[in-house]
Amino acid sequence: MTIVISTYLIYLALSIALTVWVARTLHKNGRVFLVDVFHGNEALADSVNHLLVVGFYLINFGYVTLALKLGYAITSAEQSIEALSVKVGMVLLVLGGMHFFNLFIFSRMRRRANVRHDQPPIGPDAFTPVQQTAQEA
Amino acid sequence: MLYLTVLYDPQCGLCRRAHEWLAEQAKIIELKFVPCGSDEARKRYPQLNHDLTKKDLTVIGDEGSVYFGPKAWLMVLWALTKYRDWAYRLATPELLPTTKKVVSVISQNRYQIGRVAGLSR
Repeated sequence: MTIVISTYLIYLALSIALTVWVARTLHKNGRVFLVDVFHGNEALADSVNHLLVVGFYLINFGYVTLALKLGYAITSAEQSIEALSVKVGMVLLVLGGMHFFNLFIFSRMRRRANVRHDQPPIGPDAFTPVQQTAQEA
Repeated sequence: MLYLTVLYDPQCGLCRRAHEWLAEQAKIIELKFVPCGSDEARKRYPQLNHDLTKKDLTVIGDEGSVYFGPKAWLMVLWALTKYRDWAYRLATPELLPTTKKVVSVISQNRYQIGRVAGLSR
């Protein structure tokens, strides 16, 4: 096995492991958020959670795959480690960006859900009896 | 609350334009428009002071809660999907006095504003 092939394999192993770890963290801890957003509807929360994680995997694996190619020759272990650090560093940054984007989506969904069910912004001036008209009854 | 009844002034061009705009907006709560002081308004709310509703915008919740003037404007904003956040923002203790002032000025001069903007018919 040449040094280039082993570099690629190590890169793939590291990237996949990191992606899986972040996705699982997101899946495990995002659930509580979503159950709150959907007012205790656990089935819906689990479904949305799963769909979000699938999207997360797709984008990250897509990036990892596209960024695989080195584009220059490496001949020593030293160069291999240097190449790996750049590649894995980029994967980590993309993962971090995706992770914060997911958090942003969670918090936004939560805020919207809370706002929707809130009370009116101000109290009324008075109360008056309402006579139901014929068309409504 | 499922719907709000808006008692608007059919005599004023600005109010009619606002009515058209509101009709197009996405709503969280349905808005029903009834001309103020009309027979329909009097039939629905027999104990309401209908002369007062001609002075400024009045909004009435389905359970009979009455919002008058600036509060009515805030309630209308609150009913709209896009502007509910704004209703809360404008109703905070810091902004409420300004909101009330601005809304009162617009309300009291609604005929002139409508005329200047070419909305009166």
